[in-house]
Amino acid sequence: MKKITFCCLSFLLIILQATAQTKYESGMEKAFGLWQNEQTTEAANLFERIAVAEKNKWIPYYYAAQIKIVESFDMADPVKKEQQLVQAQSLLDAARANAARNNVELMVLQALLHTAYITLEPSVYGMKLSPVISNIYEEAAKIAPDNPRVVLSKAEWNMGAAKFFGKDPGEYCDDLKSSLKLFSDFTPEEKFWPEWGEDRAKQLIKANCGE
Amino acid sequence: MKTFLLLLIFSSGGYLFAQQTVSGRITDGHNNPVYGANVYLLNTYDGTTSAEDGSFWFQTSETGLQSLVLSFISFEKFEKTLEVSAMQDMHIVLKEDVSALDAVVLNAGTFSAGDNSRVSVLKPLDVVTTAGVAGDFIAALQTLPGTQTVGEDGRLFVRGGTAEETQIFIDGLRVFQPYTASANNLPSRGRYSPFLFDGITFSTGGYSAEYGQALSSVLLLNTINEPDQTETNISLMSVGAGLGHTQKWQKSSLSINANYINLAPYQELVPNNENANFQKPYENLGGEAVFRRQFANGLLKVYTAYDHTNFEILQPDINLQRPVDFKLNNDNFYGNTSYKGRLGNGWSIEPGMSISRALNTFNIDESRVNSKEDAAHLKLKAGKRFDNHFKLNYGAEIIFQEYSEDFTEEEALSKLNYQNTIFAAYSEADIIFTKNFALKAGARTSYMALNEEVKLAPRISLAYKLNAAGQFSFAYGEFFQQPQNLYLKYDEQLKPENATHFILNYLYTKPGYMMRAEAYYKIYDQLIKYNTKRPGYDSNFSNAGSGYATGLDLFFRGNKSIENLEYWFSYSYIDSKRDFKNYPAKATPDFVAKQSASLVTKYWIEDWQSQMGFTYNFSSGRPYENPKTTGFMNEKTRNYHNLSFNWAYLIDQQKILYFSVSNITGSKNIFGYEYADAPAIDGKFAERAITPAADRFFFVGFFWTISSDKHSNQLENL
Repeated sequence: MKKITFCCLSFLLIILQATAQTKYESGMEKAFGLWQNEQTTEAANLFERIAVAEKNKWIPYYYAAQIKIVESFDMADPVKKEQQLVQAQSLLDAARANAARNNVELMVLQALLHTAYITLEPSVYGMKLSPVISNIYEEAAKIAPDNPRVVLSKAEWNMGAAKFFGKDPGEYCDDLKSSLKLFSDFTPEEKFWPEWGEDRAKQLIKANCGE
Repeated sequence: MKTFLLLLIFSSGGYLFAQQTVSGRITDGHNNPVYGANVYLLNTYDGTTSAEDGSFWFQTSETGLQSLVLSFISFEKFEKTLEVSAMQDMHIVLKEDVSALDAVVLNAGTFSAGDNSRVSVLKPLDVVTTAGVAGDFIAALQTLPGTQTVGEDGRLFVRGGTAEETQIFIDGLRVFQPYTASANNLPSRGRYSPFLFDGITFSTGGYSAEYGQALSSVLLLNTINEPDQTETNISLMSVGAGLGHTQKWQKSSLSINANYINLAPYQELVPNNENANFQKPYENLGGEAVFRRQFANGLLKVYTAYDHTNFEILQPDINLQRPVDFKLNNDNFYGNTSYKGRLGNGWSIEPGMSISRALNTFNIDESRVNSKEDAAHLKLKAGKRFDNHFKLNYGAEIIFQEYSEDFTEEEALSKLNYQNTIFAAYSEADIIFTKNFALKAGARTSYMALNEEVKLAPRISLAYKLNAAGQFSFAYGEFFQQPQNLYLKYDEQLKPENATHFILNYLYTKPGYMMRAEAYYKIYDQLIKYNTKRPGYDSNFSNAGSGYATGLDLFFRGNKSIENLEYWFSYSYIDSKRDFKNYPAKATPDFVAKQSASLVTKYWIEDWQSQMGFTYNFSSGRPYENPKTTGFMNEKTRNYHNLSFNWAYLIDQQKILYFSVSNITGSKNIFGYEYADAPAIDGKFAERAITPAADRFFFVGFFWTISSDKHSNQLENL
């Protein structure tokens, strides 16, 4: 009888553990589903709810922030856009509080957020934030030279600067091409780790590298 | 039946507990639905996003007491703990977040520049990339309405006030010698380089109770909190050279820069007008250092600056046959230490101290003046933030000044010395009633040890937002300032001068442009008067002067009408009269032009990697006193025109070539006239026009930034 009880109990524990994990996973998957369905507000809200409930995970905050940043690029009203970026920054700060100091994924997202600020008003933020962004990419490349998103984002940023100064952006094509290999070799450290960027790299190569 | 229900529950997904429904509707204060809000039970995954009609509905397996949270952009977060079973058909009204970006701003009298706020009139780069400004942030501010172009002086003259009525603060602490040393009728510049500041607030009246000892205006400069990166800057200019370095560590950073300016080679190439015959052209050697350190709960900044200036000039004097030989040596030291700390529970504390020493030696022909001015400002500021709606600020400060002067003429030596200490304290409340209505009210009391005068100065400022684009603000304030050294050194019993400001402001902002209109009325009282040609031992001083200034300032800025073109336009109208100094009657002073206007343009040409800009300044004629005519100050100079051009060419990401020229059209500007003290034998007074040292000024510079990343440049610093 004891044996049976023990069996049952351990079985129950396993089930409980399994369901606990599933809860996070199914929640995240549901959020990704909403995002894919272009219900971005709902997706960002769900990521934020998961993040608040989980307490020590940076990944759901990361996606909540990413949605806001990506969305902001297409926003026309500068006041709304700035509000959105302020909100994205606070989500990103929350993510950073739950992550290791040298998390390059968060650094890349921060650089992207600064870039969104530049599009808000180039004459105000351009000169101010450009060196900050360059600095973040330099740092990130030192920490994780093989992270494909670091290589891609840095190359894209440098291409933009080269175009602005009338230089040949083709100089950075090798970096972009090397990122493709890094994308295929990339092994995420945990489930739902950021994996975006390969399509963007291909797109940029097609547009700038004569292929 | 019971069995059936149980069966139903078990079969529908196998849940042991029944799901409960949470539902309701969210509106704002005007009963408009709030769409897109995040609605959830705290620390659970259960929640939803409110629909377009503001309604929300979700199921949860949680029971008992739970916290329902609602969060949405530009509204205050809502949180309420209650039984889940009671969370049905709720009607929740979200409160507007009064700290949101589109909230009303208290801005009567104030221009913010160089920062990133929506109501900023000058963008960070403008302070230094405006044609005609030549790296002087004071000159950039002179393109704003409410200021006067006083070409022979160069300092800030605001709304009918003298230059001394404007005080300048760095990180909240007084700057005692803000302008470079200069001679009579030669303009001075701002002493401190614009490199180190990233936020400028320029108030033309009605400012906070935190600032005193300024009758007209305050200029608040904030040093950069954290530099972007480690870098070295090299500059080579037609007038000198500069070297700067910023080193950044984990928690601290140090910036140092040194500049050497010598106008001798330039004046060889482009000689001055004959009225400015330099025997020894202007030479300046200066350096600055800023150290910053981040602590867990605060930020410490230490700023020091030192500079040495010398020159010798032969200036014509209408009363003398030969020109006057004027020689100057100036040494100036300034140090400033401030700390900004958070104490928790909404409390903040900001202690700070600035010290200054200025040593001057003037030789005027055979006579010689050695002067020394030591000054210190100690300040302690504390603030308590209760919530988004209510904030209190308190502060106390001591300003100490000691002035001594040795005057040697034909071997006779006279000495002069005086000390003055001012104690002041203030308290001020910021109340934000709603997103559309805010108030700042405070008072300042000061005690001047020299004459034992106690003064109480109330200040109030309020703003009301009409709609998304427009808002009105109003400000009133009393302002006191102790008389200048120039008078106090002869009569220590003089009382503080007084001004009262009334300001009404309308601000209209839309993406791509901004319009600002401001009307003001200012009353002057207790102004210093004396009864001799120049203040001296034999003068009788009194506080019997008075005056007024009233006018309208307009400002328009746009950047959307033509691609790559930024421009702003300022217009000021002023009516001002005062009876002060040795005026025999009330008159418009010689530094006040009835109308002035500026148009600044900047155009980015992508194919040339260049920014080009024109600045046009206009002032109507300024009054001057002609002893040949009856009445007082009845004559006016001709109108003032100045069209300047600049061109910044980005050679590559790190190298910039910069060129500028002022007064392209070569307009013969006249600032005023000087008359002989006594008529000549023919009964006529000899006359001389006061004109600029040179009609045009050319500037060429090459700026090179060396940093670990290869993309930053000094455009920001030009």
